[in-house]
Amino acid sequence: MRRKSALLTIILMWSLLPLIFQLYTSLSTPEALIRPFSSISERWTLENYRQILNLNPPFWVYLFNSTILGLITTFLTLIISIPASYALARSKTKTTEGIRLILFGVALFPYVLLFLSLLQIAREFNLGNNLFALSIPYTALSLPLAILLLSAAFKEISTELEEASILEGFNLFQRLKLILLPILWPAIASTSILVFIFSWNEFPIALTWISNSNLLTLPVAMARIAGSSVYSIPYGLYAAATVMGSVPLLILVLIYQRKIVSGLTQGAIKG
Amino acid sequence: MYKKISISLALGLILIVTSLLAGFASFLRVDHINVLMPAPFADSTTEIVERFNKDFHGKIKVHVTRGPMETEAMSDLAISSLILDNSPYDIILMDVTWLAKYAEAGWLVDLNQWFNKEKTEEIVTGAMIGNYYKNNLFRWPFVADMGLLYWRTDLMERPPKTPNELIEITQILQNRNKVKHGFVWQGRQYEGLSCVFLEVLKGFGGNWINGNAIGLNLPESKNAVSWLKELIDKDISPTSVTNFAEPEALQVFKSGDSALMRNWPYAWAELQKEDSAVRGKVGITTMVSLPGVKSSSTLGSWGFSIMEKSTQKDSSAKVIEYLTSVKSQEELFLNFGYTPTNIKLFKDSELIHQSEIIMDLYNALNLTVSRPQLPLYAQFSDVIQRELSAILTDKKSVNEGLSLAQKNSENILSSSAGRFQ
Amino acid sequence: MTLILILPAALLISLVFLFPLVHYLWLSSKAFSVMTGLVAINNNGANWIRLLNDQRFWQDIYQTTRFAITSVSLELLLAIIIAIILDQRIKGRGLIRAITLLPWALPTAVMALGWRWIFNSPYGPIEQITSLLGLEPINILSTPEITWMATVIADVWKTTPFIALIILAGLQSIPYDLYEALRLEGGNQYSAFIKITIPLISPYIFLSLVFRLAQAFGVFDLIQVMTGGGPASSTESIAMYAYINAMRFLDFGYSATIMIGSFLLLSTSCFLAYLIINQTKSLISNQKP
Repeated sequence: MRRKSALLTIILMWSLLPLIFQLYTSLSTPEALIRPFSSISERWTLENYRQILNLNPPFWVYLFNSTILGLITTFLTLIISIPASYALARSKTKTTEGIRLILFGVALFPYVLLFLSLLQIAREFNLGNNLFALSIPYTALSLPLAILLLSAAFKEISTELEEASILEGFNLFQRLKLILLPILWPAIASTSILVFIFSWNEFPIALTWISNSNLLTLPVAMARIAGSSVYSIPYGLYAAATVMGSVPLLILVLIYQRKIVSGLTQGAIKG
Repeated sequence: MYKKISISLALGLILIVTSLLAGFASFLRVDHINVLMPAPFADSTTEIVERFNKDFHGKIKVHVTRGPMETEAMSDLAISSLILDNSPYDIILMDVTWLAKYAEAGWLVDLNQWFNKEKTEEIVTGAMIGNYYKNNLFRWPFVADMGLLYWRTDLMERPPKTPNELIEITQILQNRNKVKHGFVWQGRQYEGLSCVFLEVLKGFGGNWINGNAIGLNLPESKNAVSWLKELIDKDISPTSVTNFAEPEALQVFKSGDSALMRNWPYAWAELQKEDSAVRGKVGITTMVSLPGVKSSSTLGSWGFSIMEKSTQKDSSAKVIEYLTSVKSQEELFLNFGYTPTNIKLFKDSELIHQSEIIMDLYNALNLTVSRPQLPLYAQFSDVIQRELSAILTDKKSVNEGLSLAQKNSENILSSSAGRFQ
Repeated sequence: MTLILILPAALLISLVFLFPLVHYLWLSSKAFSVMTGLVAINNNGANWIRLLNDQRFWQDIYQTTRFAITSVSLELLLAIIIAIILDQRIKGRGLIRAITLLPWALPTAVMALGWRWIFNSPYGPIEQITSLLGLEPINILSTPEITWMATVIADVWKTTPFIALIILAGLQSIPYDLYEALRLEGGNQYSAFIKITIPLISPYIFLSLVFRLAQAFGVFDLIQVMTGGGPASSTESIAMYAYINAMRFLDFGYSATIMIGSFLLLSTSCFLAYLIINQTKSLISNQKP
């Protein structure tokens, strides 16, 4: 028992220490960072947060952009993946097995390698500097995993229930809306969270598609944050930004951790 | 019938009024000029830009985008906007090394029609280097920038002039425990290392790329690099210098932990701030050189370019003219320590009286050397950074690293044969 | 009907995954760079010859593979331990799970900045502690032999939770009856782990292994922000090299060649790994009656 709690403490420390250190850094004055063990009159400061909030454009713009982009992407992914997963789950031909295999392979693909072609697409169709447009590749990149997870969940629902509702005269849309989706709710929730987090964290495509500073997403904006003091390292600023950028996700994970785990349990590999 | 006429009359009236309004609006149309600058410049020009927007109220409005601080990140941003063919920027504040590449890609406008010979003659010669590509003026200088050697006036009577002197002086200081480190510079694998390398190489009488000849395997290059390595081996520069960019070097020097530092002019203002441990104890000079060889200073310098795709080139030129005016330059020099480019300011007796370093800057500006101005410069620089970093971190010997750098540079040169000059 | 439901997804996926492959194949046969005025010109496979002779490409392949294998094996090991602990009934399990999941939810680019500061020399906390203990500075981010391990640590911190999550899902799918049955037969905890847990979660382990290896091979944000590929290019990954060629050197033809080349290498090695695993699997199942 004692060994277990010791292990648990180590795990928690491992996960939290870097974050706590960021919090500490964000609240320290530059002098306190350089000489942490000597006594300094001004040790703590909120200056870093003040600067982050006074950035131009202000920090919440990035939060807003990332949130909007995440919501659009999640929405698009769900609308496209739910019908597709339904179809995949309900037919058992060689083709659908093949499709599943392809999806699996595609989901594994290290998508960073796609950036140059995606840039070309953005250039050809004038999709640069547009958050709505950016959600297109995000959706496409999220689709394989979403379809795999959701079609596994669809498979769990007994066909009898659905057949009964067909006899009642429900069409496909009604069946989805009234019977299937309510049952699928946990799987949909966990898929949405995975998609949202992916889109929130995505870096290389946002880096190449967005050059207008009012449209930057959080990760790219943060990698570009620069101190206003000309030539000292703005680690305090970075840290403050990290803390502020983490809070929404912290809340999201705290609320939904059960859903994330159960959704994956339902779906993960059974498909 | 009557009804029809009145309707068409009303319609006609609406049409006339709207077109009149539209015409009026276009007369009042304000040109919105977007300027991309690295963060420090965006911050320091805030007041000047505000004044411009007041002076040109109703005609031109400038919007400054605060780009990243690091030159490379800034270049990534500028390039991705230009590759997308959808650049939101009319003007970009450009580093000297980008010019050839951008010009060759066809992204820049020849500024000759707005900045004629008369105007170029007002600029210090050193600051006009690096603005031309194939005889077209593609960039107008905003801040002159050159490598400087900062030295501690409380630790030594005069700064070292030669490589050997530098080693002697700093070793004595370190042995007497007067200071922790002797000399800090930029040794990380990035563009700053190429700048240090060029300065030291020139000081040893060498050449990096001269026309079609690459001089990396010549004795001068080997001596220069061996000297840099010796600094680390003798602990004059801390081992961690191989991960230093400008901020790290400044941080060490500012906290009083080093006797010498290689950095750019803006470090001066930072060192005179209240929280600086070396306030009032710093002098500036240029990089050491062998006896009989002229000391050199790598040209940094930032300047404005107008983008080919901009639809408001005339207004953009007005903005550039305003931002680089004598008045703006004087203000930027006094408030932020930006080295002026206009010759008038270096002859302004009041300014010379006010600033203890302006003449030092002028002298350094006359010693500038520019990095090779080639569209493939980024590749050449990358090759040398890579090998230098390997040498400085003990992964390769000086000979091994430099001959590989020589070979790779020759490959780059031959792959683009006939397209230079 | 099935077709209509699948069509939008199929179209989008092929636009984003299939088009690039074709596009890269086309680009890799052209000279397309700032030196050609950003116009594509045939160059008769010169890109491919250059790739084969490019020391840096092969070094990056080696470095990327080293990074991927080290970090994924560490992650798997840690993840199994974490998942087993999280699977047990402990007080405040929800909060504990949320905390362990947190690193995975944060943007890589953001925490990479944090790690850069943690490993910073001489003022970062690790160097501060070593100097407090009177040790020589380690210079983590400026010593080629060490820096890549620092990137591994950052990656392990960030992605272990995700693998732990998948394995946890596997653990929770094991019916409790199985353990009960084994206990009645007189098996102990250890044999339960070997006989029940490991075989039943092995597909989950396999899934996360393949998934993470492929993703780690494409590592980009972490390296880009944390080390920029240095020192001495010792941490540069394949994706970074391709990025640099496109965005800094404006050499799109060669950048595409790097990407398609590494993709070919990756898929071949995946296929080989798949064959080997299948072989060993059938060998093992043949041994058991």
